[in-house]
Amino acid sequence: MAITVLVFFVLFSCSFVFAETEIRFVTWKSQFPKVWDEAIRAFEAEHPGLKIVREIGPHSSTEFHDLVTQKLKNRDPEMDVFFMDVIWPAEFAAAGWALPLDRFFPAGEREKFLSAPILADTYRGQIYGVPVFIDAGMLYYRKDLLARYGFSPPRTWPELVAQAKAVLAKAKDPQLTGFSGQFKQYEGLICNMMEYILSNGGSLWDDDGLRGALHRPEAIEAVQFVRDRIIGEISHRGVLAYQEPESLALFAQGRAVFHRNWPYAWEIANDPQRSRVVGKVGMAVLPAFPGGKSVSTLGGWQLGISRFSRKPDLAWKFVSFMTSPEMQKRIALYAGRAPARRALYRDPDVLKKRPEFESQFETFVHAVPRPRTPVYVPLSNVMQRFFSSAIALRDSNIESLARLASRDMDRVLDLLREGVRP
Amino acid sequence: MREAQRVALYYVLPSLVFVLLFSIYPIFESFRLSLYRMILTLPWLGQKFVGWENYRDLLTDPVAMKSLLTTLLFVAVTAPVEVLLGLFMALVLNESFRGRALLRAVVLVPWAIPTVVSSQMWRFIFNDRYGLVNFFLFGDATHLYVAPLAEPYLALIAIMVADVWKTSSFAALIILAGLQTIPDELYEAASIDGATLWQQLRHITLPLLKPALLLALLFRTIDALRVFDLVFVMTQGGPADATNVLQFYGYKKTFAEGMIGYGSTISVVVFFAALLLSLLYIRLLGARVLERPGR
Repeated sequence: MAITVLVFFVLFSCSFVFAETEIRFVTWKSQFPKVWDEAIRAFEAEHPGLKIVREIGPHSSTEFHDLVTQKLKNRDPEMDVFFMDVIWPAEFAAAGWALPLDRFFPAGEREKFLSAPILADTYRGQIYGVPVFIDAGMLYYRKDLLARYGFSPPRTWPELVAQAKAVLAKAKDPQLTGFSGQFKQYEGLICNMMEYILSNGGSLWDDDGLRGALHRPEAIEAVQFVRDRIIGEISHRGVLAYQEPESLALFAQGRAVFHRNWPYAWEIANDPQRSRVVGKVGMAVLPAFPGGKSVSTLGGWQLGISRFSRKPDLAWKFVSFMTSPEMQKRIALYAGRAPARRALYRDPDVLKKRPEFESQFETFVHAVPRPRTPVYVPLSNVMQRFFSSAIALRDSNIESLARLASRDMDRVLDLLREGVRP
Repeated sequence: MREAQRVALYYVLPSLVFVLLFSIYPIFESFRLSLYRMILTLPWLGQKFVGWENYRDLLTDPVAMKSLLTTLLFVAVTAPVEVLLGLFMALVLNESFRGRALLRAVVLVPWAIPTVVSSQMWRFIFNDRYGLVNFFLFGDATHLYVAPLAEPYLALIAIMVADVWKTSSFAALIILAGLQTIPDELYEAASIDGATLWQQLRHITLPLLKPALLLALLFRTIDALRVFDLVFVMTQGGPADATNVLQFYGYKKTFAEGMIGYGSTISVVVFFAALLLSLLYIRLLGARVLERPGR
């Protein structure tokens, strides 16, 4: 008996010591796996005895959310560090899933980052994530095609449609479409539609009054434009099932005149291995509606630490390493991701490889975050349902769908009014 | 006798515990949770007992009602088609010919592939640019290519096709087992009496196969009612919510939105729908399914 207990004790303590040195990092499938592999190897080389175990989840933010929250709900102590989309910190903080990082990540250090993602990582005065890179919607266009037919990058959405139609008519290439974006029923649809609605002076919901705003005329007009002029005229209907990779593939194969994507698309569109339009791509701020202001949705990813991790201090070492200036620089140089640290936008090496960052800086600073709230996911699902129905059904009654969506949003938002956190 | 019963109890105890723990307990727990309002991302609202409120909300939730219709449509199309195809496959596989063993194995392959993998495969097949469906239909005329997963009406059909492809062979397996219990003497006697093949099928095979057919239909109905993985991989409920089947909606509510009470309510409703249909089928089957057919 005593021996058995002893054996168990030894085995248990061994496995415990062994587990201490492993940090489990839940991440998504990257378009640039090499950059992340190298970063992790560099961390392990710098911290002998620590091993990063990666668990790779789906690329789609929506599906990745389900994976990470499933682990958090189960209080899985195995997961230490995870990626968070810019819309999740409020939810993860309110649910008590993410560890507040204030003791590791003081205010002085936060100032070195762009303020929008820091704000997104803050919930009720505490910080829950460290931004790795930020994203903002960009317009990509075929420089060669626009030049051939005498166009300059469009400033308004109607102009974009007109240019696309003119190019399509003149190029006479059955393979070519006018525009590719992300219109599948998933989170990316919110990012895309928000850019149309906000650049028409509308909003998704009124954050102060906690009321849905999709039924207001500015929003309805923008949604109708997408259905009738974008999907109906210059995109093929396949975009209704597209996320980022599919829509980018179409553009990189030279089959789209215009394309909406995050900054990383630049790297892929100019990679001879993956693109047929190397050197023919231009990048601009997204168009607005006449009289409106161009709006880019803020995206981007943060590293968070699970409240159920048994080794938050070691996890922080990893988070701190991955968000260090050196790593963000490496990610900017080799993965085309826009760094979250301000100083890198003045870094000579970064600007030499990525001259476009200098002009994009303004877009990044002004990128509009999606509202921060612990009930973001239910609101997003209501909106996804509405947007997809409104643009995928040719004869949908957008106004009545929008009224229903606003009402459903109100019901979710009412939950916030109901209980005040003690 | 009492001693024997006690021994028997010991023998069934492990499986009894297993069933209680992994089947009965979760059902009761889901039912209990469905009477509460519990939102994981708003922990300060607490766990509030709301009685039947979730069920009332469900009845007035247009998304849930549409989702129910979508699910029923899915069941109504896939289950009968799968049983019919299964019957056809089983009749072929029951004949003796060269390579029968191989063919029997091959037919089962779709069913043996994990659904997530086959869903991914079908997603590629239905792709609007390089999918096989478009290639077979339109060849090089790429401007004619359609995007089945982007069209609200086609997307549901695409998912039905994937389901039929995958699970018809399961129906075939059950029906084949039924076919093998039909004694050969009946066919011999029928041939001697001059019955044609059609008459044999009509008057011997089908009547004796009824329990197996109903059983296959029962399994496929329950399974189709709970369809989830195909939707999860292929469409995520879109476009325009056209493939938002009940289980996927419940999953979204429970796992993505953290609405534990409402999500459980949906699960309970799916459970009772499956139970109700099962009881109906079992009534149709009568006790015959327990007897050896052909006697």
